[in-house]
Amino acid sequence: MKVLLVEDNELVANFVRKGMEEAGHAIDHAADGRDGMARATGGTYDAIIMDRMLPGGIDGLGILAALRGSGSKTPVLILSALSDVDERIRGLKCGADDYLVKPFAFGELLARLDALLRRSQESQVATTLAIADLRMDVLSRKVTRAGRAVNLQPREFKLLEYLLRHANQVVTRTMLLENVWNFHFDPQTNVIDVHVSKLRQKLDAGTERPLLRTIRNAGYMLTAED
Amino acid sequence: MSGERLAVPLPQAAAGHAAGWWRLKPLPRPRFSALNLAFGFTAISIVVLATFAAPLWFAWHEALDQGRGEFLREEAVWLSDTFHKRGPEVLAAIIDRRVISEPATGKIVLFTDAARRRLAGNLYDWPAEFTDAPGPQLLTGELNGRPTRMVMVRVPLADGYQLLVGRVTGRFQRLENYFIWGLAGCTGIVLLLGLFSGLLIRRAFMAEVHNISQTASAIVEGNLTRRLPLRDAGGKGGGDELDMLAHTVNRMLDQIEQLIHGVRDVANAIAHDLRTPLTELRSRLEGLSLSRPPAEVTFAEVESAVADVDRVIGIFNALLRLAEIDTGARRSGFVEVDIAKVLGDTAEFYQPVAELKGVALSCDMPATLVVSGDPLLLTQAVGNLIDNAIKFARERGAIALAAEVRDGGVVVLTVADDGPGIADAEKPKVSERFYRGDTSRGTPGVGLGLSLVAAVAKLHRGGLELHDNHPGLRASLVLFSIPA
Repeated sequence: MKVLLVEDNELVANFVRKGMEEAGHAIDHAADGRDGMARATGGTYDAIIMDRMLPGGIDGLGILAALRGSGSKTPVLILSALSDVDERIRGLKCGADDYLVKPFAFGELLARLDALLRRSQESQVATTLAIADLRMDVLSRKVTRAGRAVNLQPREFKLLEYLLRHANQVVTRTMLLENVWNFHFDPQTNVIDVHVSKLRQKLDAGTERPLLRTIRNAGYMLTAED
Repeated sequence: MSGERLAVPLPQAAAGHAAGWWRLKPLPRPRFSALNLAFGFTAISIVVLATFAAPLWFAWHEALDQGRGEFLREEAVWLSDTFHKRGPEVLAAIIDRRVISEPATGKIVLFTDAARRRLAGNLYDWPAEFTDAPGPQLLTGELNGRPTRMVMVRVPLADGYQLLVGRVTGRFQRLENYFIWGLAGCTGIVLLLGLFSGLLIRRAFMAEVHNISQTASAIVEGNLTRRLPLRDAGGKGGGDELDMLAHTVNRMLDQIEQLIHGVRDVANAIAHDLRTPLTELRSRLEGLSLSRPPAEVTFAEVESAVADVDRVIGIFNALLRLAEIDTGARRSGFVEVDIAKVLGDTAEFYQPVAELKGVALSCDMPATLVVSGDPLLLTQAVGNLIDNAIKFARERGAIALAAEVRDGGVVVLTVADDGPGIADAEKPKVSERFYRGDTSRGTPGVGLGLSLVAAVAKLHRGGLELHDNHPGLRASLVLFSIPA
């Protein structure tokens, strides 16, 4: 996947570039607003990671507005030190698809970017989701593992649905918090871990191949691969 | 305190004081408002005096002119009667007698023949300035050898005889002089009184201002405990305007002192709570660079270092969130929030954690309860309360959540646990930033949870109330936010 990184801080840019290349993405880097504008509107990218406060006369939101104004639907992830709730809302209203606050964990950035790339490729309306011998019928709200029914609470169902829609992909705790519970704060205690381990018990108990794995320092992944 | 010192208090004081004075810059050229005020009032008094005197002056002159005109007319009628009845010789004789018998009355008479040669009277020549126009004329003529201002009227008689009747106008000159001198005296007295009272007022005023600026300077130098002296020590309305000002300034100083203490406390707390993870981080990294352990150990240490940094970031984020709430700006984004749903969802979110500890969560609330507020912050506040309750509840204990509407549209959310509770003495402190009670040492958290709840409650015009639950803690989030 080809990703454009618009970021003026060299250290952060190198850190992101290195990580993204290791994850198998090709990175183009623009170090100021003008360059970012030219590349974003001129090139074809699968996703853009955009800083907000940039030198060069035009800021991240300006580039974003120009991009959306020209009809481009390239997924954009804003990576900014502006952390106020109002600033996030402004960013999303301007047409950003996700908003990550600095300082950030690279795992979080990669997971969110992968989610964006996936979203732009796949349709979100699939009503039957499956991985290995796990099946979910979203409409009838039935889940089976190896043909055996799994009984889930409504919120557990939503959690599993999110994991299934992002199967084979790292999902961070913050992503779960925001998308499954719609909570936008750090609950301090490891509540998410407890929820996931409860779900894992219901899914993987008595099976030989656990599907729901914990990815160290990042989050979780629902996968059938080894 | 001398008047001279009062006149230029700031530069003199500056010379005698330490550097603090320089920061309180006086105006480049002091403009004394008290003096200006006194001058203004003096000017107004003078205008009033003039407004009073001017009509009097004109009325008086009018009356004088009128009276004089009547006299002249009567005299003219009488003299011309005498002329017509008894002839010019008798008239001339009468005139001469009267002029001689009444020399000081200011009367002027001149009786001439057709060629305007004098026949009788105290005027010796026909006045050069006199014209033939009808009516009284004001002119200067020679009387008893001296030029004199006079009013004359001409009375034509039969056979070309002419009669001039007049009065000396200077008779009332002294009266006029008295009037003018009186007026000038009054003006002078008003001026003097104005100047004097202006100086007195300024003296008192400057003394007060001097007090205020001295106190302010002491505060600039760092003595925050100083307050302006009050003449009305009781403080119950008996003071004058300057006392009112002093009261307000003192209240402002109280507030500033409180804020500065707050900032100092927060700075200390930040320093303490950030120093701990930063110290750990530093020792970890320095240890790594000194001992150069094998790769696996290095990786483990780096991961711990990242966790330390995450703790610091967590504290920063919590502080930023608090600062954001404290500005009150988020009130503009209030929407209708179903607080019962918020409480239910949050309880459901924490349910598994409670189960893990064997704690039973129970909810007692109406199906819907709509308040006007910030849904994100309310969720976080409720989350913090439940999180705290689970942390402190006994193993296999119970937590009761409740939402109710009290009188006056007050919504109260209560989270009650059966843990160790908070001692009464500690209760006011727990919502202070970074405060961690003795019972909470060793539990995770940065000590900002309850301050955030308190700040959110304040944003919703309410407060955080902590009561004993016998045993345990009853934390109530009070909201005055029923939508209109």
